[in-house]
Amino acid sequence: MHQTSLGRLINVLAIIVVALWLIPVAWVALTSIKPTKIINAPEPTFYSFTPTDEHYIEIFDRFMFHRAMINSLVTVGVSTLIVMILALPAAYAVARMGLMGGDIWALSILSLRFMPGVVVVLPYFKMANGFGLIDSQLALIIVYTAFGLPFAVWILRSFLLDLPKEVEEAGRLDGLSWMQIIFRLILPMARPGIAVTAIFTFVFSWNEYLFSLFLTYDKATTMPVALQKTIDLYNVLWGSLSAGAVIQLLPMILVVFLLQQHIARGLALGAVK
Amino acid sequence: MSTTSQGTRPAKLAGSDSVPKSPRPGAVSRQTRRTAYLMLAPCVIVLIVLAIYPMAFSGVLSFKVDPLYNPNVARFIGWRNFEDLFDDFRFWQSIRLTVLWALLVVSIQMVLGFLLAILLDRKMRGAGLLRSLIIIPVFVSPVAMGLTWRFIFEPVAGLANWIVNTGLGLEKYSWLSHKDTALSTLMIVDCWQWTPFVALILLAGMQSISPEISEAARLDRIRGATYYTRIVIPLIRPVIMVVILIRLVDSIRIFDLNFIMTKGGPGSATLMASVYDYTIFEQGHLGLMAAYGFLILILINIIVAIFLNTLYRAEKSARVADAN
Repeated sequence: MHQTSLGRLINVLAIIVVALWLIPVAWVALTSIKPTKIINAPEPTFYSFTPTDEHYIEIFDRFMFHRAMINSLVTVGVSTLIVMILALPAAYAVARMGLMGGDIWALSILSLRFMPGVVVVLPYFKMANGFGLIDSQLALIIVYTAFGLPFAVWILRSFLLDLPKEVEEAGRLDGLSWMQIIFRLILPMARPGIAVTAIFTFVFSWNEYLFSLFLTYDKATTMPVALQKTIDLYNVLWGSLSAGAVIQLLPMILVVFLLQQHIARGLALGAVK
Repeated sequence: MSTTSQGTRPAKLAGSDSVPKSPRPGAVSRQTRRTAYLMLAPCVIVLIVLAIYPMAFSGVLSFKVDPLYNPNVARFIGWRNFEDLFDDFRFWQSIRLTVLWALLVVSIQMVLGFLLAILLDRKMRGAGLLRSLIIIPVFVSPVAMGLTWRFIFEPVAGLANWIVNTGLGLEKYSWLSHKDTALSTLMIVDCWQWTPFVALILLAGMQSISPEISEAARLDRIRGATYYTRIVIPLIRPVIMVVILIRLVDSIRIFDLNFIMTKGGPGSATLMASVYDYTIFEQGHLGLMAAYGFLILILINIIVAIFLNTLYRAEKSARVADAN
């Protein structure tokens, strides 16, 4: 492509804007390896300091961050798995099986994604209390399943609608059952869509805060809630906070590169491809 | 799983035998429909138990007085919770603030997002990398970044104050603890996080415009701003609407960032609906909290309805204008 000098200027501008936009992310990473004295100095230091791992040690030793990490991994991982197991047949049914009002089913399920958290968190709290599940991983797994399911069904449906119909029709003529069609024919073809759906489901629960705040206080707290404990009324440990934030952010940066060209589709609920 | 499918195989064979004989293409046998409902059922049951039932539970609760620390006195009190809310000026203040917040941040993010999308809509080497990098804010948790931003806006050691102080020569300032700046500071953070969301979706829309159209526009010497207002915006209008809708709903629901950065303070300068609802919980008025939660749900529905209605009218008048 022919590059005009104006075009080149805009390219440079694009790079500068993106770089400026990421300053806060870079800043938290930098803060996490600075000695406390430098962090709290009125003049910010950008490079002339000796990197330290004290905050990473502190967040594990004093704030037991590894427990929050395990809680996050278990609750988010297990709920994502359950969501996918429930969502795949449901998405296939509304996308492909000529269900009466299939679109209405799909839209009603999607509409639940827009429910404000504060509307359902109280019943969750009362139910968990009633079953003695407050501060348990199980309570969060159940809630994150409900929380991730509407999005997963909707976006999986959009991926399934893209698949060619012929393969399934051939499968049906060969006398395969629906379950066999899903597991032998659809599953391999829809693998990218399933992966993208699972990753998005994982991300939403990974960053979730309100439900974890209500349903856990110590044993089962996930990372977002644990992070907040570095802050109390009188003292803020910016270093430990930054270390914890970096640990929580790192997988998300990996996610961004894994999702690649599917990001917009997932974020726009399938409205763009 | 394989055992069940093996077990039902003979029946399914009989069912699929009838498929070629079916008179209309796309017609579905009763057996298929039954299987479809069976496949949908687990998901729907889970959602009824974990989403619909809690919502109904909340609905019932909103007509009760139910103190958190004294559940024994719980009883129905009719519309009292709603009446109490309507009489509370802080309730109206939080609703006004939430609506103002949603309209402002969504407008800013749409404009900035569109500009950012244009900037990234380039065929340069590394454009894909830029797109991946800019979307990172959307994927980081509001808690981690909200706390980081609090550090950036910290009165003494904060980066923002250093920039304002050395760059612009202004006094250091406690951004989040003054009531005239707290809300705008929150807006800056929200726009930082969500403008890339808008940009990336609009960009995907722009890139789905067929090369023939942009080529034709180029031959007709339609360029720059005209190209975007006359060609791009009308073509990606459905995408724009979806983005506005998602952002509107999510802005009205905002909790995490608001709670983490200001908890509604100073005073009630940033007390938006969901955080206000949380403070009612902290005071232990569960019935009142449920009632407000429901009003938030209604507020979301009203705003979405107004938005869709205006949109529908605009489309209709545009069509009439085209016809003339």
